[in-house]
Order: sequence, then C-alpha cells, then structure tokens
Amino acid sequence: MPSVLIKLRSSALHGLDGLQVEVEVDSIRGLPGQSIVGLPDAAVRESRDRVKFAITNSGFEFPAGYFTINLAPGNIRKEGPLYDLPIAVGMLLSSGQIKAENLHQTIILGELSLNGEVRPINGVLPICLSARDAGIKRALVANDNADEAALVSDLEVIPVKDLLEAAEYLNGDRTILPHAVDLKSIFDAGQEFDLDFADVKGQQHAKRALMIAAAGSHNILMIGPPGSGKTMLAKRLPGIMPPLSMEEALAVTKLYSVTGLLSGKAALITRRPFRSPHHTTSDIGIIGGGRLPRPGEVSLAHHGILFLDEFPEFEREVLEVLRQPLEDGKVTVSRALATFTYPAEFMLVAAMNPCPCGNYMDPVKNCLCPPHKLQRYWSKLSRPLLDRIDIQIEVPRLKNEELIKQPSGELSLVIRERVIAARERQTARLKGSSAHSNARMTPKQTREFCRLDEEAEALLKTAILHLKLSGRSYDRILKVARTIADLEGSEIISSAHVAEATQYRSLDAKGGDYNV
Amino acid sequence: MAKESKELGDRGENAACEYLAKKGFRVVERNFRSQQGEVDLIAYDGSVLVFIEVKNYSFRSFGSPLGAVRKSKRQSIIHAAQTYLMKKNIRGVNCRFDVVSFNTGTDGSVAIEHIKDAFGVN
Repeated sequence: MPSVLIKLRSSALHGLDGLQVEVEVDSIRGLPGQSIVGLPDAAVRESRDRVKFAITNSGFEFPAGYFTINLAPGNIRKEGPLYDLPIAVGMLLSSGQIKAENLHQTIILGELSLNGEVRPINGVLPICLSARDAGIKRALVANDNADEAALVSDLEVIPVKDLLEAAEYLNGDRTILPHAVDLKSIFDAGQEFDLDFADVKGQQHAKRALMIAAAGSHNILMIGPPGSGKTMLAKRLPGIMPPLSMEEALAVTKLYSVTGLLSGKAALITRRPFRSPHHTTSDIGIIGGGRLPRPGEVSLAHHGILFLDEFPEFEREVLEVLRQPLEDGKVTVSRALATFTYPAEFMLVAAMNPCPCGNYMDPVKNCLCPPHKLQRYWSKLSRPLLDRIDIQIEVPRLKNEELIKQPSGELSLVIRERVIAARERQTARLKGSSAHSNARMTPKQTREFCRLDEEAEALLKTAILHLKLSGRSYDRILKVARTIADLEGSEIISSAHVAEATQYRSLDAKGGDYNV
Repeated sequence: MAKESKELGDRGENAACEYLAKKGFRVVERNFRSQQGEVDLIAYDGSVLVFIEVKNYSFRSFGSPLGAVRKSKRQSIIHAAQTYLMKKNIRGVNCRFDVVSFNTGTDGSVAIEHIKDAFGVN
C-alpha cells in the first residue's frame, strides 16, 4: 500500500501557554527505522521505543519502512512524552491500519506505556485552553487527563484508555461520548478545612492580625518564641481566606498543571494554595528556574499563602529575590533557552524566633545569644524586605493559666464570613483595576481610597514623626487601616483604625530593641 | 575447532533455509558479505526483503537469541544489507531484520525461535 503523508495536531508547552505543533509522519520503503526531527528532547526521542512496543502490543503490525516524524514548527523545542500518542496514531494512519479523516481540528495528547495504555501528561489545561483559542474543536486525551481537559469550555474532550481504543474511535468503530465535568460541584467540594482557629489557645491579638491580613491579603510577619503557636496559626490561615473565584482557580490550576503537581488530585484546584518550603530551599526553587524555566514556590503560592517558617534561616539571596514578586505580583525568569513570566500574587506569611535561641525579650526565660549572633540573625532581614511586610506582630509565650485552659475563641467559619464581607467591599471598590485586594492597591488608588478623617490624619502625622517611617511604610499603614475599616464596614478610616494599623508596625516601633 | 564451528554454522543455515521455505520465504542469498559486515540469509517474505541472522545453540536454557545479537553484530548486518541493496540496485522495497535461532536440547530435540522485525537501523 502506498504511504501517505499524515498530519496531526498536538501541542508544546511554552511557559503557561500551549503552542500549536503539527506532527507530520511519512515513510519511505527501505531498511526499517525511525527518526524524529523538530528539536526533540530526550523524552521525545525515546518515544520511538515506546511507540514501537505500544503498537505491537495493541495487536497492530509495526509498519515497515523508514519513518520520519517531523514536529513542526522546527524552531521551538519539544519536551516531554506527550507526542507518543500522535506519533503512534500517525504511523498507523500512514500504514493504513486505521482510517480517519478530518483530524485537522483534533488535538492529540498522551504518553504511551509499553502495553499501549495512554498515560496522563503535564499541562493539559493550558494546552487545551490555547488549542481552543486556536480553533481546535476536539481533544483526544488520556482518561486521567479528561477531567482537567473538560474544564475548558467549547472543547469536545474524548478520553481514551489505550491506543486500541483511540484507533477504534478514529476508525469510527467505537463511540466515545465527550467527557463533561460539573464545574460547580467540583468547585463547591473541597471547601472544608480540618484545622480551625478555635484549636489555638490564647493569642487573640495574633488571631486578629491574621484576620486583617487575610481580609486585605497583607503580608504578615510573626515574631515569637518557640511553642507560642506561630506555625499553628499560619496553618489555619487557609480556612479563613475567602474562596477562590473561578478565574483564580483556573489560574492556579494552570500553574500546578505545568509543574505536574495535579496528578492524583482533583482536576481543579479549589482551595487557596498553602506552600511552606523548607528554609534550605534555594533561590531558584523559590523563584523558579531550570533550563526551561519552571514555576517556583512563589508561583505555586499564587492567589494563596507562601509560609516561610524560620524566616531568617533562609539564605539571604532567597529572601532578597522575594522583593520583586512581592512588589509586582509576578516573576520573570530568563534562561538561555526561554524567558517566561509566571504570576506570583501570594500573601507572604513569615514566622521567626526573636533570636537564635528563641528567648530574647522573654519575661521568663533568659536569652543566651551573644550580641553578635543576635545582630547577624536580624541582619538577614533587610529594611526593603521588612518594608514590604504590612503587618509585623509579636506572638508571645502563652501564660501558664492559658496553657491549662481549653482552647477557645471564634471558629474559622465565623472569621471567614467577616473576611469575605471585607473582601467584597474591596472588590466592589477596586472593580475594573488589576488589584483584587487592599494590599495590591497602586499608590494612586491608595491616595484615592484611603481617605482619613481629621483626627486620623493628625494621629498618622504624629506616628510618622515618632517612628521615622519610610514612604513605603506610610503607604502600608494606610492600606492596613483601609482593611480594618472594611472589616468594620466603614467607608471612612477613623483614628482607631489608623492606631491599630500603626501598632502592627512593631519592627518600626521596636526595631532598635531587635538590632534591626 | 574452527572447522567444527563452521560445520555447525552451515548445518544451522541449512536447517534455517528449510524452515523458512516451509514458511513461504524465498531465499535469494546465503552468507552475503560486505567489507564491514555479513548476513547469513537474505530472503523474500512476500514483497518484503528480509535479512536473517541464524543462531545455533546447544543446551541453552535461558535468554533470548536477540540477546546474542549485540550492537556490533547488528551494525555488521545493517552494513551488509545496505551494500546488498546498493549492489543489486534495489529501491522502494520494504526491508526487515529477523533472527532465527535453533536450540538443541540435551535429548536432541530442536526448538526453533523466529523473531520478526528484531531491530531497525537505529
């Protein structure tokens, strides 16, 4: 039988986008062999071996002749095993073992196992979104990718178990109904949290600060001796954060999809991410990187929380690279092969001991740290970094009577209601701008929306004089005061709000004590 | 010793020819040699030209005959095949590399194993 040139559609991941790739398969008669061209990486070249076994183990004949597989366009790098399925289908079409027409609007994605099973791949969501925008109508994907692909509207998702099933479908011998997911039920699920604020003993002051932080998406630093409950508090933050909007959930899911962190979990990420990288994590791990840059922890915490426990134990470089994403809400990572920009709008939650031994300024225990150690500890945290942390609080050691008492206080659900109400006020106010929360307001918006009454203005002026605040701290106080007013449902910022907000600049006020 | 193994090889090739003929193969060449390679048998299986490596074993209890066709051997067969196609000016014919092995057991019984499309040029 004469061989024909087969053209199939697939895709390549490029950062958070899918680029359209054409898989061309053709053969000539002669000695048997295959070559794959079009800048394939090792995983793509290896697909030759997987495809061979998948074809023979699915009951097909491995076609004779010399095959050339071209992944076009030839100037972008192709990574990963997602071309196995289109290559196998292409070889079967080329040798006439299956017959199908009108495949120019069908995208085919999937890795093959040696027995012909179609395995899931990374990045299905961004690939399918881009494909839909490029006019693709149908996607042939692995069963395990079907939920994720079906999140894309106006795209017919055909899930296949193995190569044989794909072949039968393309031949028209088997009907596979397009896969659909109930977006709302997925979205509503997963809003339950095991950890509750009511489990934490005492620390009413810290709990209030965390509520304000959650309400305005403010960065927060907790300073306190070991065992005071900083980590416990931080872990309970997701439970009081407002739920993700659909748009936000898709943005977060895209990031987890390309990093391959979705598998095994639900197709859509419906909870705000909580990332707590260990303090030995490198700057590349935090910010993202690699030969072809992958998202780092700051991006995985997008629309969620980046919790850095033992804050000053991180490498200095790691802490300094946080500055750009904290300011811009995104990171741009450049490498020789590509430059990608990943979103990184996270809320930074940092926790630290007041000194290496943990007992500095403790009323009961004595600090054993020599002064130079204390100084070195604090010098890790630069002024520009601390300036970007809106709320800085102390979480003191629990008193004996507090320790014995049963935990008490408000349930996370109750706090969450208040946070949601405050967020709604912000969303309404900031409608049409890129900011979603008070913390992300531009200087212009800050001036416009943070109107103080006379008394508040006078108070803030005194505070600036006494605390020698920087311009940035001044802005931060205004934003936090705005959030406190929002929590109370007040449009005007009063002196009480400013007073509380100023109190959360504990390092500005007490910096000297801490050798900052 | 050299003579013995040559005899053993010839016997194997004869047996392979017989076996392939039964399978409907048309043998066109035996022991084809090129400068850097050789191939035991060349035959047509329908329209497909097949280059066949014949392996002989006695008392072999495990392992696949493919394991005995290592990379250098494969290169040698591929080189011979390319030379053959060029010399005979054969174009537009699909080709294949097969391995046929004879396994003689202790009781004198012979098991034949035929691996089709055992390898490709890459």
